Amino acid sequence: MSMKIGEDKFKERVGKGIDNTFMRGAVAGAQERMGTRRENATEELGNWEEWRSHGEEIRKHVLENLDFYLEQLSENVAARGGHVFFAQTAAEANEYIQGVAKSKNAKKVVKAKSMVTEEISLNSALQQAGCEVIETDLGEYILQVDDHDPPSHIVVPALHKNKEQIRDVFAEKLGYQKTSKPEELALHARQKLREEFMSADIGITGCNFAVAETGSFSLVTNEGNADLVTSLPKTQITVMGMERLVPTFEEMEVLVSLLTRSSVGQKLTSYITVLTGPREELETDGPEEFHLVIVDNGRSSILGGEFQSVLNCIRCAACINVCPVYRQVGGHSYGSIYSGPIGAVLSPLLGGYDEFKELPYATTLCGACTEVCPVKIPLHELLHKHRQVIVEKEGRAPFAEKMAMKAFGMGASSPALYKLGTKFVPSVMSPFTDGDKISKGPGPLKLWTDSRDFPAPNKERFRDWFKNRDKGGKES
Amino acid sequence: MKVTLFATCIVDLFQGNVGKATVELLERLGCEIEFPESQVCCGQPSYNSGYVNETKDAMKKMIDTFIDAEYVVSPSGSCAYMFHEYQHIFKGDPVWEPKAKKLAEKTYELTQFIVDVLKVEDVGARFDATVTYHTSCHMTRLLGVKEAPMTLLKNVKGLKFTELPGKEQCCGFGGTFAVKMAQISEQMVDEKVLHVEETGAEYLIGADAACLMNIGGRIERQGKPIKVMHIAEVLNSR
Amino acid sequence: MTGSIQNRDAFLTQIAKSLGRERRSKGVAVPAWKHRPQDEVLKGATQDELVEVLKTQCMKIHTSLVVTNLQDLPAKLGETVSNYGGGPVISWKDERFSQWGLDPLMKKGWKEKDIELYEWDESKGSENIRQAEKSNVGITISEITLAESGTVVLYTDKDKGRTVSFLPATYICLVPKSSIVPRMTQAAQKMREMHHQGKQVSSCVNFITGPSNSADIELNLVVGVHGPIKATYIVIEDL
Repeated sequence: MSMKIGEDKFKERVGKGIDNTFMRGAVAGAQERMGTRRENATEELGNWEEWRSHGEEIRKHVLENLDFYLEQLSENVAARGGHVFFAQTAAEANEYIQGVAKSKNAKKVVKAKSMVTEEISLNSALQQAGCEVIETDLGEYILQVDDHDPPSHIVVPALHKNKEQIRDVFAEKLGYQKTSKPEELALHARQKLREEFMSADIGITGCNFAVAETGSFSLVTNEGNADLVTSLPKTQITVMGMERLVPTFEEMEVLVSLLTRSSVGQKLTSYITVLTGPREELETDGPEEFHLVIVDNGRSSILGGEFQSVLNCIRCAACINVCPVYRQVGGHSYGSIYSGPIGAVLSPLLGGYDEFKELPYATTLCGACTEVCPVKIPLHELLHKHRQVIVEKEGRAPFAEKMAMKAFGMGASSPALYKLGTKFVPSVMSPFTDGDKISKGPGPLKLWTDSRDFPAPNKERFRDWFKNRDKGGKES
Repeated sequence: MKVTLFATCIVDLFQGNVGKATVELLERLGCEIEFPESQVCCGQPSYNSGYVNETKDAMKKMIDTFIDAEYVVSPSGSCAYMFHEYQHIFKGDPVWEPKAKKLAEKTYELTQFIVDVLKVEDVGARFDATVTYHTSCHMTRLLGVKEAPMTLLKNVKGLKFTELPGKEQCCGFGGTFAVKMAQISEQMVDEKVLHVEETGAEYLIGADAACLMNIGGRIERQGKPIKVMHIAEVLNSR
Repeated sequence: MTGSIQNRDAFLTQIAKSLGRERRSKGVAVPAWKHRPQDEVLKGATQDELVEVLKTQCMKIHTSLVVTNLQDLPAKLGETVSNYGGGPVISWKDERFSQWGLDPLMKKGWKEKDIELYEWDESKGSENIRQAEKSNVGITISEITLAESGTVVLYTDKDKGRTVSFLPATYICLVPKSSIVPRMTQAAQKMREMHHQGKQVSSCVNFITGPSNSADIELNLVVGVHGPIKATYIVIEDL
């Protein structure tokens, strides 16, 4: 599965994440800054809940009528002279795009940041077709120059790198000789990338929201790179996840507003570009040829099922920016290009439980993600649902856990058994008890007591105290 | 007013003091307390681990135990929330969904009950110390109780309150998460303890026994001089 | 230009199957939404109030705002260009520049000062892009201006190249006061109306909010990444 990053096992990845103190500092700082910006941007509207409800109703309506709107979209794109290709799998999408590249005899491809192209591993497909691929989003460019280091955040892909690391990478790979000041680093990238834009044969973008009624699609950036990608090369290819569309400009506007406020706390980002078809006959910039590739790649099996609402996602990363687990382990720990709560829900659905079965357990179900989601995806409930599927449908839970839960279920459903069982807890635990606490617990409790004390069971259960007190012994 | 106490298994086995404080506090506020012996656990540990069907019998037992109560009150936000969750778990079940709905309508977390039902904002407590307060996730986000504990603490005489930085962040308990993902959980509770320390408070107060067991367990292990106390005990202090 | 569609049927049939129903090809209308919070933002604000909102927002987006009238427009535009270091300047080919009395400045004044002006010319093909690339200042006109976010909206066409607002080092946009609306909602409605009236939507509509920027390095804001490094909006009060 191509959305997978690295070969390490989950626990090793988490260990590496926890040991990476710079990354954790950066993530914590980012969460605080982006969290505050998001809060301000949503609170100033005064009726954010209303906005979220509107976002949700739009997404829901589109998903319920997805075939209709995709048909309408494709008709309108073709009417404006665009070529639409429906790809059920990643392989179909890549093959089609390779075909376009070959037919244009393309040598150089410039790209604007797009998660779906990461998901289908488009870059390596293009390299196989003999193309040089250049990422033009500053964060993505940094990662690419650093031998394709994977992204760790869906909005700020190079969040795990500090400016000194970036300077060193630029110095080694690009002959950069200036300081680690972000302004100077960015200027260097600007100059390098200008040359690439001017000489590229194909421009590739993702799609924030396609508009069915007019066959348009929108791109949301702050850097303006997507605009150069779609203005300069002669051929443009846009790749979209099949769910990323809206009926009309009016719904597009609402979702763009939800996206920019939730993701970076801006009213709008610097550049929101709405493109329709290739350039018109007498226009001299913009692509001569436009291809829209609509990708399923597992999405249709989510549709219509209990996880459908995950397809509401507009990739704002608000859930990632509040997640207390992501905060401690960083993006790479998830082992998927989709990290954080949304990644923990989506990755097992698109990539399977074999690769991603741990992710639904990497959550305390604290609900912070659900609270901020601008399109009301009940993320923590979907994580819980994954656990239920893993246990009840997939039968993947470890045997010992199954037995323990069975015993728990029996105990908890039988007051007599519970009363009897718990009565003896203090004496069973007494070998491990040190005064009023347990410092070295047996069995699974050890995992707790490795880092925390566990309270020793009270000698008298509360229920016994209450009963005695009722019998007249008012003070225990 | 008749209150049926849903003590929770943690309080029953490990934190009897919290149960006692809850009983005394509510009695002082004029309630008559009942404790049905047939109560066990709300089922959250196995339910949250994905064993939904395995847990249904336990939930049904709890519904039957509390169905005839006038008010159900629990000194734990997370467990009270679980009673509210039952109606969704039994959605479509002609027998148990209506029963679960009925239970949810009368189930309250302790501070929520005092402020919203008893309409009391000052319980007449005195507690001479500097405290900070951990807002538990399930209680605030899922049960939606945010203000009640603050309202009550504000009116405790002698109590100096200091805000906990990053208060909305989970302490890393998460039920079986604490053992299943022990290495992550440890980092989360460490950050929480660090934040508690930063406040300079003598006491960390909370309204959820499980979170307190987690944070308290880490504080004790690290030998920090911070004491952990349930809000019921603070409100019951004179 | 003829487009094409490939592989559609199997793809959409799969979607219908997942949704547990027959393919839907017609009969779906955009519902009357239950929530419309977007209409409430700056509802009933006067044009003067919107200018104030725009002013405040421009400070947040690192954009200079100049409010002037037609009489002073040439002076203000000349001043802004000089402050940005002069030419070369590139502008759209748009008769409004002339209607607004800018010919003496753009066609004479700048020539005298050795400020080179290039006007977009579709007959020159890719020379336009080369000119935009080497320009110091790009000048366009806003069709709709969004007060809430400080955004100018550009419809590009054969005389109004996309790259005028992206490739030059700095950017100036002329904003008729009457073009100012509360927010993106009104722009989206207008675009949709035009479509329904049978006017083809531009191949490229740009919503531009200040200069280009990035926070990709340690979340430090860097202004001016791929697009312009500085931006000025000149609001013309009597238009």
